[in-house]
Amino acid sequence: MLVSDRHGHLVRLNDAARLVLPDAVSGGRLSEQVPAWLADAHQRTIAAPAQGTSAELPHGAIGERYFEARITLSGGDVVWWLVDATDRRVAERALGDARRRSEVLSEASSTLLSTLNVPRCMEVAAALAAEHLAEAAVLIAPPQGRRCSLTYACQGDPVVQTSRQVDVTGVPGLREALQGFPPVPARWINPDDIPDWAIPDGFAGSVGSVIVAPLPGHGVPAGALILLRSSTEQAFTEGEEVFARLFAARAGAALSAARLYTEQATITATLMQDLLPPTLRTVHGVEYAGSYRTSKDHERVGGDFYDVHPGADPSEETLVVLGDVAGKGLDAAVLTGKIRNTLHALLPLAEDHQHILNLLNSALLTSHHTRFATLALASVQRRGGRTQLRLTSAGHLPPLIVRTDGTVEEAGTRGTLVGALPAVTARTVGTVLAPGETCLLYTDGVTEARGGPLGDELFGEDRLKRALAECVGMPGEAVVERVQMLAAQWLRDGRHDDMAVMAITAPKAGPLNTADGHASGGTTRRSGW
Amino acid sequence: MVSEPTATAGAVQRLWHAVMAGDEHRAAATVHDAMAQGLSEETLLLQVIAPVQEKVGVEWAADRISVAQEHAATAINERVVASLAHRPAAGRPAPDRGRVTVACVDGEWHALPARLVAQVLTLRGWRVDYLGAQTPTSHLIAHLHLTNPDAVLLSGSIPTHLPTAHAAISACQAIGVPVLAGGRAFGPRGRYATALGADRWAADARAAVAVLEAGVPRPSPSAIRHTVDDLPHLADQEYTLVVRSRTQFVKQTLADLDDRFPAMRAYSSAQRERTAEDIAHIVDFLATALYVDDPDLFTAFLTWTAGILTARGVPARSLAAGLDALADQLRDFPRALKMIEHGRAALTEHTTRPVPGPDIHA
Amino acid sequence: MTHLPPSEFTLAFRHEPATLTVMIGGELDYDTSDDLLDEVSRRLTAGRPSPADVRLDFRELASIDSSGLTALLMIHRRTSALGATLHLDNRPAHLERLLHLTAVLDHLTAPPTRPEARRAEEDDGLAGAGLI
Repeated sequence: MLVSDRHGHLVRLNDAARLVLPDAVSGGRLSEQVPAWLADAHQRTIAAPAQGTSAELPHGAIGERYFEARITLSGGDVVWWLVDATDRRVAERALGDARRRSEVLSEASSTLLSTLNVPRCMEVAAALAAEHLAEAAVLIAPPQGRRCSLTYACQGDPVVQTSRQVDVTGVPGLREALQGFPPVPARWINPDDIPDWAIPDGFAGSVGSVIVAPLPGHGVPAGALILLRSSTEQAFTEGEEVFARLFAARAGAALSAARLYTEQATITATLMQDLLPPTLRTVHGVEYAGSYRTSKDHERVGGDFYDVHPGADPSEETLVVLGDVAGKGLDAAVLTGKIRNTLHALLPLAEDHQHILNLLNSALLTSHHTRFATLALASVQRRGGRTQLRLTSAGHLPPLIVRTDGTVEEAGTRGTLVGALPAVTARTVGTVLAPGETCLLYTDGVTEARGGPLGDELFGEDRLKRALAECVGMPGEAVVERVQMLAAQWLRDGRHDDMAVMAITAPKAGPLNTADGHASGGTTRRSGW
Repeated sequence: MVSEPTATAGAVQRLWHAVMAGDEHRAAATVHDAMAQGLSEETLLLQVIAPVQEKVGVEWAADRISVAQEHAATAINERVVASLAHRPAAGRPAPDRGRVTVACVDGEWHALPARLVAQVLTLRGWRVDYLGAQTPTSHLIAHLHLTNPDAVLLSGSIPTHLPTAHAAISACQAIGVPVLAGGRAFGPRGRYATALGADRWAADARAAVAVLEAGVPRPSPSAIRHTVDDLPHLADQEYTLVVRSRTQFVKQTLADLDDRFPAMRAYSSAQRERTAEDIAHIVDFLATALYVDDPDLFTAFLTWTAGILTARGVPARSLAAGLDALADQLRDFPRALKMIEHGRAALTEHTTRPVPGPDIHA
Repeated sequence: MTHLPPSEFTLAFRHEPATLTVMIGGELDYDTSDDLLDEVSRRLTAGRPSPADVRLDFRELASIDSSGLTALLMIHRRTSALGATLHLDNRPAHLERLLHLTAVLDHLTAPPTRPEARRAEEDDGLAGAGLI
């Protein structure tokens, strides 16, 4: 407690105050006897006594400790009661730090987990580290071949990513971190040893302190994080080092998840390459167009398929296949792959559809299951202005032919499904497409689409035929797209089976090579989406 | 040497005649010849092909061309664009601008606007992944995880896809990829793009280029939103209930129309289905208007439909009767009733001139 | 509601001395065909002697897809192996259409020609279960 008069002179100190302010003497000017924050508070109180009580208590340091000052007015004197708040202050600081750190970790987690892209994940991790943990951060991914992917972040600068050959042994503790050994304590790392490549370009001044934190991954290290602070700043404390490791653990987990996702997605894409429907184009003067929609929107492959096997030259037939394997999803897709490969091998026998179907049937027959396929085969050849077709259905919906006069014919072919019975039979029919006419092959996912304005009707063959009657003279692609669009609109969000549609179209009169010429460059739109 | 506007106008006319004749060869030749004579690829895309496609929609609405012609024309335009894209890349800039993904909203079949934007961005030095028509949102997100683009351009032509677009926008932003919305579905001056929380909106391909060149900051993934955060009015459940009762509304409205127009009982099943589809469209647009809480969306659809019907010699009074029947069923839905009232008023004022608008039948 | 609830898939069995009758109701599809196959297979081998006739009754069948047909083909293999004749009773139009399109009706309902095939099929059954 100390007492001062209205004129700013120190009147009296008690013993406790003397311990805190050993140099203070009674009678001296308060401003010369006590720290500035207390003298200021005194001045304010004298100037406007009424406001002194409502505001936050005056507070500040005296020596190494921290005090709050409470005031009482006693007659003409001002009495200041100094309360030691050092411990509370430390506790509050620690709490504030803890809260800030948990906020940082929470932000880091939500930002890192939002992406499954590896470069983006590294960018986010480095940027967060530079913003919250240090002045600059460098994230090193495990070397791929001779090169390392490096991500540099400096407070206030955009993140820079590069891939180069670096000597990881140059940074103390880095090789260990990349191999998953325990971290080297920051105090063991001499900042002068840090090579230039491990310092972002925007980093000003010399390096004062360094943390090298491993990024633990799923069993294998996901990389390492170098945190840098310049020599003019306070060195990393042990608490900050612990926090940096916590952060690194989150970053490592996120990075590993992203890497795992990318690997899986890449593998899947590679394996699926052969199962995806091919891009169709004009072959030997006949247009082919196809489109495929899987039953589940998150899957890209399913039980429907189509292929066009061009004849070796225009005098040879082109074989077209569209089929449907019982079942759904990847299991069905794998079987479609087998069928497509087998048919490819059987191409030399394509002039006899029945024969091909018999061989395919034997190849597919197994005692383990009765999963079957239904197929529509078409052998196509253009002679003069006439496009000749031989059509065979093996347990499949018969192809529909859209004539120029608007009639829609059903090809009169019928045969046994393939892959479940000891023997199969099928009847092949021939027909001719005039210029502008289209033969449509499709799977039952189209006609069995359930929905419509009344919600519960099948799309059905009649509706399909009516729609096709409106497609007279359209290019094959437009016919295919129209059919898929009508079926999709019929369904809206309803459950459906795989849907494949293929058109074989005799081009309208015109130079024969038109579409061929462009198609070789890939004019034809990718099927589906 | 002719001036550029003259050359452009000439090319538009020749391309129009070629696509109307369904002559892909002539269409491609027209465009490639125009390029050989000095028109830039961008001019061809935006000032020749785009206006021709626009005209296709207008002519269909006015019943001056058939569905088949419309589809054939669109397919040919698409192939012409593709033939430009696959030309040997002489004189094309190296992709050094950044990477973007261009996709149509799931369910959206109108791919040409997106395709044109994709192509123009390529010409301006962007690396573009074009995912095409009706991209399922799950595929889009998987693609974004793999490629980490600077932005997604989401295209929509038909407003009824707005709820799906909303889900796609939120999903992209949740993984830190900003969304630039474009296309007629997003309304006059992109008002629905804003309502659905898209980061940016662009009126056309060149505006999209400008927006991207200015840079779009990444959204913070920690700010993941729920639908009702953007559209608090959805809490009244009117949208949900209308969507879920769609089939019932259609059936009941059909029955009511039977009572009001005895002639309808003699309709063939195909005619009845057509009527049912029209009613279903009305319900869909009503639901979408409820979703974005904008009666204008509903009235624009109604007046456009009235124009389509009038062009085909069908009296538009069936539309008004359909609205009356719907209103009877929606007595407990104050917001929906208000929209129907607006719609009725607009139909009364409606002139018979067809106006370009959302081409629901295309 | 946009969708009616899908009709419930139901199976009911009637055992007579020489005949097993299976009443199949609802949607026989990808999700339900395994149930049919498992239940029928179990009953075929549970009692001795095995039935001479197996009757599948489709009166209550709402729909069938290719997976459903796969199950019918497998049931036929099992009944043939046991020397039993398969009957497809009360076929609704959509089933009739599917059987016609895929041209398997004659095969499915033909009387068994080789009762001695039984042993080979039993071996296959083991192979299918991954035992050999």
